[in-house]
Amino acid sequence: MSVTTVEPAADPTSPEQGLPARITAWICAVGGVVGLVAAAVLLVEKINLLADPDYVPSCSINPILSCGSVMTTPQAEAFGIPNPLIGVAGFAVVTTIGVVLLAGVRLPGWFWLGLQAGAAFGVVFVHWLIYQSLYVIGALCPYCMLVWAVTIPIFLYVTLRTLREHEAVLPGPVRRVTAAAVSYHSLILTAWYAVILIAILNRFWDYWITLV
Amino acid sequence: MTRNTRLTLALIAVVVLVVGGLLAVNRPDHPPAATTDTGAIESTVLVREDSHRLSTAADGKVTLVEFLDFECESCAAAYPAVKQILATYQDRITVVVRYFPIPSHPNADLAARAAQAAANQGRFPDMYVQLFENQTRWGHQEQPQTELFLGYARALGLDLPRFQRDLDDPATATRVAKDKADGVAAGVQGTPTFFLNGRRLTDLRGQDDLVAAIDAALAG
Repeated sequence: MSVTTVEPAADPTSPEQGLPARITAWICAVGGVVGLVAAAVLLVEKINLLADPDYVPSCSINPILSCGSVMTTPQAEAFGIPNPLIGVAGFAVVTTIGVVLLAGVRLPGWFWLGLQAGAAFGVVFVHWLIYQSLYVIGALCPYCMLVWAVTIPIFLYVTLRTLREHEAVLPGPVRRVTAAAVSYHSLILTAWYAVILIAILNRFWDYWITLV
Repeated sequence: MTRNTRLTLALIAVVVLVVGGLLAVNRPDHPPAATTDTGAIESTVLVREDSHRLSTAADGKVTLVEFLDFECESCAAAYPAVKQILATYQDRITVVVRYFPIPSHPNADLAARAAQAAANQGRFPDMYVQLFENQTRWGHQEQPQTELFLGYARALGLDLPRFQRDLDDPATATRVAKDKADGVAAGVQGTPTFFLNGRRLTDLRGQDDLVAAIDAALAG
């Protein structure tokens, strides 16, 4: 008799194996890098702006697409420190987690709940910033929009994964909604983007029609 | 293809079609109301009796009209070019400034009224300079920048009580709105928009393009 090591068959019900888990890992790794780069650029521009108040940031293209006017508002320091600092720290962590997941490491439940809390904070903060940018400041900052664009899928996929992980304790209806949400994950993300896109188009419609 | 992928692609297609359709439908393709037979804009619409001139040509051969918004960053970017042109051509060309405040700029209308209040005291060009030179200080602020504008009026040595009265006078707002209405009739959609002898200058990339167009008009 020979002793063979048997590869454990992939357990399709394990959240580490199913669709949301794999996508979540990729979304965290790639989204984290994109968010990190955008936040880093904003931080550098912020420093340039502090050093020279007349400095025109690279992303100030015209009155609508303008980092300069957005970066100098109180909303750009919502917690008393420049927002890009939060982004640089947060996205570095998200990137690391994504890479660790892609490496196949299984992380404990409490760790995932920590990521879930961070992603939830991020998505709420980003939507507050979207509202402020569109309806209070009245200008769009391209790098900030990049941060919006990655924070949403990071939150969505981390949440879908968390819900699947805790499927057993969810009440029946919630479990069915979760199952539907998991199978239509990219539809949800697209619809989410579409709502924000339409809000942006609607808010600055007079400007967009001058471009066509 | 999974159902999720199909529905996602369908949603993207719907959004693209709807947005593209709306942009196409709203596209302002009809000629502006004040177009003459030759395709130029009526000079009476572009330059009214009471329009503000930064320079006046003795021969009246070349007229440059700018529709501007004092809070618009592209207008501030064009300001040094206009300043340079005024210095270069002096009284060989007429340069006219018309108000075209854009609603998404919170202080644009107030700034236009400040310029008009200064104009009532014969100091439009000075207030025009003040507003553009200091645009980074007052632009993109939610709060009305009345105090700052009063400061500019004080610095220019204007009759302050009169300036303040004119700033709030409905007649001043009407005067600004009249300029804007002329701009709309002339097909102005954004700022700055330049007209040279009634023709809208498009694809202006910088001062050189503006200078070349003026030189061509002077030579023609």
